Amino acid sequence: MNRRLTLALVVLALVVGLTVFTWMRQLGEPGERLRVVVYAYNDVITGIDPSLEDDTGLVVLGVVYEPLLYYNPVTGIFKPALALSWSSNGDGTEWVFKLRENVVFHDGTKFNATAVKVSVERAMNIYRETGRGLGYVWDSVEEVVVVDEYTVKFKLFYPQRLDIMASACYAGYVFSPSVLERSGANSYTDRKLEEWFNLGNAAGTGPYMLESYSSESEVRLRKFERWWGWSEVNNPRAPDVVIVKILTEPQAQYNSLLSGVIDIATSVPRANIPNLISRGFRTYNLTTYHNYLLFFNVKRHPTSLEDFRKAVLHTIDLDEAVSVAMGGYALKGSGVLPHGFPGFVEGLTYKPNLTWAREYLMSSGVETPVRIQLLYQVDYEETRKFAELVQSRLRSLGVEVELYPATWTQLKDIARSVWEDPEDTPHIIIADWWPTMASPYDYLYAMFHSESKEWNFAGYENPAFDELIEEAYELEGSDYEHAMQLYREAQQEIFDKAVAINLWDEVKPFIYSKRIYIPPEAMNPLYMYVIRFEVVSVEGT
Amino acid sequence: MPLSLNYLAKRLLWSMLVVVGVAVLSYLIIVLSPGDPAVKWAGNPRGANASLAIELARKELGLQDPIYVQVPRFVVNVLTGNLGLSIFYKQPVFPVITSNLTSTLELLLITYLIAIPTGVLLGYFSAVRRGSRVDDFIQQLGVLLANTPTFWLGSALFLVLVTHEIPSSGRVDYVLAIETGFQSITGFYLLDSLVQGNLRVFLDVLVRLLPPALAISVYPMGLMIRVVRTLVTEVLLEDYIRVSVALGVKKRRILWTFTLRAVMPGVIQLSGIAFAYSLVDAMVVESVVFGRPGLGRLLIDALNSSDFRIAIGLIVVVTVFYLVVNTLADVVQALTDPRVRL
Repeated sequence: MNRRLTLALVVLALVVGLTVFTWMRQLGEPGERLRVVVYAYNDVITGIDPSLEDDTGLVVLGVVYEPLLYYNPVTGIFKPALALSWSSNGDGTEWVFKLRENVVFHDGTKFNATAVKVSVERAMNIYRETGRGLGYVWDSVEEVVVVDEYTVKFKLFYPQRLDIMASACYAGYVFSPSVLERSGANSYTDRKLEEWFNLGNAAGTGPYMLESYSSESEVRLRKFERWWGWSEVNNPRAPDVVIVKILTEPQAQYNSLLSGVIDIATSVPRANIPNLISRGFRTYNLTTYHNYLLFFNVKRHPTSLEDFRKAVLHTIDLDEAVSVAMGGYALKGSGVLPHGFPGFVEGLTYKPNLTWAREYLMSSGVETPVRIQLLYQVDYEETRKFAELVQSRLRSLGVEVELYPATWTQLKDIARSVWEDPEDTPHIIIADWWPTMASPYDYLYAMFHSESKEWNFAGYENPAFDELIEEAYELEGSDYEHAMQLYREAQQEIFDKAVAINLWDEVKPFIYSKRIYIPPEAMNPLYMYVIRFEVVSVEGT
Repeated sequence: MPLSLNYLAKRLLWSMLVVVGVAVLSYLIIVLSPGDPAVKWAGNPRGANASLAIELARKELGLQDPIYVQVPRFVVNVLTGNLGLSIFYKQPVFPVITSNLTSTLELLLITYLIAIPTGVLLGYFSAVRRGSRVDDFIQQLGVLLANTPTFWLGSALFLVLVTHEIPSSGRVDYVLAIETGFQSITGFYLLDSLVQGNLRVFLDVLVRLLPPALAISVYPMGLMIRVVRTLVTEVLLEDYIRVSVALGVKKRRILWTFTLRAVMPGVIQLSGIAFAYSLVDAMVVESVVFGRPGLGRLLIDALNSSDFRIAIGLIVVVTVFYLVVNTLADVVQALTDPRVRL
């Protein structure tokens, strides 16, 4: 009996084995060979509404949608995107954009001037009515006029460099007007349309279209064969599929890179980079406009005293900070704006000098030992290291620093309380910033204007400063150089009063596998995580 | 009938009270701690109208109401499964949770398929051969496994596999999945690939599941070895076993039928308890070491961004799951052990 059973089992195992073998052989010949790139992104996607998304969604939007123009702030050169040519009247209050013809959206509808009008008005109106989104980039726009199918005119309230605004990725993307019908929304400002986008729907003109969307784990993008620009980029080795894989832990990105699951990493432990290079991985170091700033709470003793603030700043060595906190992957900050950004000023840095620091401390009248608090973002390893460095260095001055770690939302909540409850807001706050648009106003208004109660963490109020940057912003349209000069003066003011300093501008190392080639034009310092995959080359899989 | 409806009704009622309690406590802890969810809901507004946007967001989220109004409203929403959109992801809460839950559960399923049979068998052999060198070895192994840090073992396994170019990270090879047309339907990749007859993806998914599952399985396996050894030893000394031996019942029947049946209720009970520990282990190892999506990363991100809807939804789902597992363990115990009546 047992022998029969054994025999039956052997026969059964043989049959199953043969079936599986045949099955695997059949499956072993895939129908198509695709060029797939897996791009590890170090944050979850917070939304993909092309008019309203203000945060990490840009990593997806940047390849699915297109603005009217592209702008390189380093070279000051504009590049046509959906607009082929553009011009303004003498005083910069009217701008006309000639649009590309034969452009289609991913849903097959035609791109035209109406699409531009609808897209701009949606971002602009939602912002004006509810304050949501970043539609303030269109603040100067009075009216968007469709002149003909491929010409659109912007009438402005005041002179403005609308070419710069039209190259803003936030709030500047053009979507198909067909989304209204597809989403079942009543109007373009209907909340239903926003929900429709954020559920994973899209209708852009970009080189890749959205195939699947899972905001917390992965986004899949597929090459849009009808994109107008393929003939221009002439890249037959562009990826067919791009997967944006969410891996928020640097260690997980490192492990995934080693095991070949991902092709491009955006955040690996900096100490591991040499090891990756020795294993044959490539790096691309992008100098970004993402900078880290130190704000003083100017409404609370002793950081309300200018001399005390200067004493603190003369104690901190920014070269050391870049080395310790960023592992060298940063440029030492100057003024408020990052290197290469319009209006950047070189040399607005406090020199580390303990003698001067003691003199300032003495003239401030603050008696040591004194205790102050420092608030920093706990999940940024670099801010934690910097905070510990400050704590250690200020001890030599007789200043005891109590560290106050917080998550980003907690930090924001605590820092903005400087306006209502300055005595309970830490004395020093470390926060980071990246631009919405290529204008110094973006930084200076948000962080130092007295009306900006949400982001002015210093609690700084100075009507003369407010007037200065407002004048500069209005001058951008008519006298750009003069406007930049005023922005530089505004930074000098912040520097002289020691309200805040730019600690460093991040240099972002992208680590990628040998089968990928990322040319410099694929990267954008303005929106550092947005990679132009259409110019990336991939070896066949 | 070892199960009474009265017991089940009481158990259900207590479970609901636990869920309500967990929801209330979680809401109070998260909403009353620093970090205004309205800022995120409004989209971190930067312009001159930022304060207006945050004020509107606070109204939309109902955060301007007194806490005694917010809490009951939130509990009703939890119980009716209406948690709305995630504050951070702007997507419906439950699909976000379930897509991550399935990844973690699939991992735990493989973990338990490894841990329980292996642990039971080793514990059993140890008891049957008690006093021998094999017994000593298995006992030491049990202690070692139960005390091995999962994170360390996961990292070590990963490094070894990477050195030998064996895939161990992520859930599936993307290129393979795309080329073979694999689509996830249920979120359980093993099941989905089998249903679609996609054996290559099935094997790839399985190969990637094994290393983290092995790492997580050490604790329940070690625990199981030690407990099963004790249980079997006790059973073997019972009078009915001695009588069976005296009556000439075959040794194989005594060992494999009588003894194993007697220890099974204990094994089931223990599996339910160990599940909670394994869930925590999985939440750490899956995302950090093996780059897999899962509940751990989701919870951390939700707490960091004050997304109380996802965080509490997740805590409630895990609580419900834990209650269900333990209730099932009790029910199965009652059905298999004639001494237990519920």
